[in-house]
Amino acid sequence: MIDGLDPTIHAPKRLAAMAVLDNSMSTSFRFLAEHLRISASDLSKHMSALEAAGYVTVRKDGRGRGATTTFSLTADGRRAYTAHRAALRALLDESPTDVSGGAGR
Amino acid sequence: MESDPRDDLAIIERAEAAPYVSYPATPRWMYPAFALWVGAYTAAYALLEVHALLFLAVVVGLLGAIILALRWMHRWHGALPLPGRGTPPAEITRVYRQYFAGIAVLVVAVVVLGLTAGIAVASVAGVLLSYPGLLAFDRAYHRAAAAVRERLA
Repeated sequence: MIDGLDPTIHAPKRLAAMAVLDNSMSTSFRFLAEHLRISASDLSKHMSALEAAGYVTVRKDGRGRGATTTFSLTADGRRAYTAHRAALRALLDESPTDVSGGAGR
Repeated sequence: MESDPRDDLAIIERAEAAPYVSYPATPRWMYPAFALWVGAYTAAYALLEVHALLFLAVVVGLLGAIILALRWMHRWHGALPLPGRGTPPAEITRVYRQYFAGIAVLVVAVVVLGLTAGIAVASVAGVLLSYPGLLAFDRAYHRAAAAVRERLA
């Protein structure tokens, strides 16, 4: 496995979820489901895997229709995401093909 | 682990931008509420020499109101970005810089007016400056967010 790439967050939906979480104080279940365009059950599975890895924490507030579930990155999650992102960039930098105009910043 | 890193980085870029560019419309009451908060906070300094404890209580109350407002904004937004954390799109970073520069100008103006013209004048100026300031920031932010959405579409 390439150094820094994390198999837990390599799946596109999990990668996107980690990227959203890295850029917010915390993120609601609804926001993630809408952005990732996946069903509630699929999102639950992905977030459970990230929680099991110790990368996210889950907070549930309220009950019934007004209940909200929010997710936050843990310090380990932030480290793993940052390393994964850097590893992807390194892979791209090593690539011989011209990739200007891609996702670089 | 065999996907193209370009595809993964494109996913990352879109997802990282999402908290900054996907948000509900700003409620109309937020602009005057923020301006009145600035005015009230400035006016509270009139209490400092009269009743220090009352001043402290008012300031704590006003800071508590900001914390409650932030909690509400967090629920209302769904993924409220935190300036200083994460990787905002360049367009948004520019607007953030303008925002913090605007806050600095507002603070300096209010403090100078408070010291020279009195707290009442400073308080009114705080309201009159922060209201259009927030409106200008909001418009600049919407333009920047629209540019990001267009770039990433």
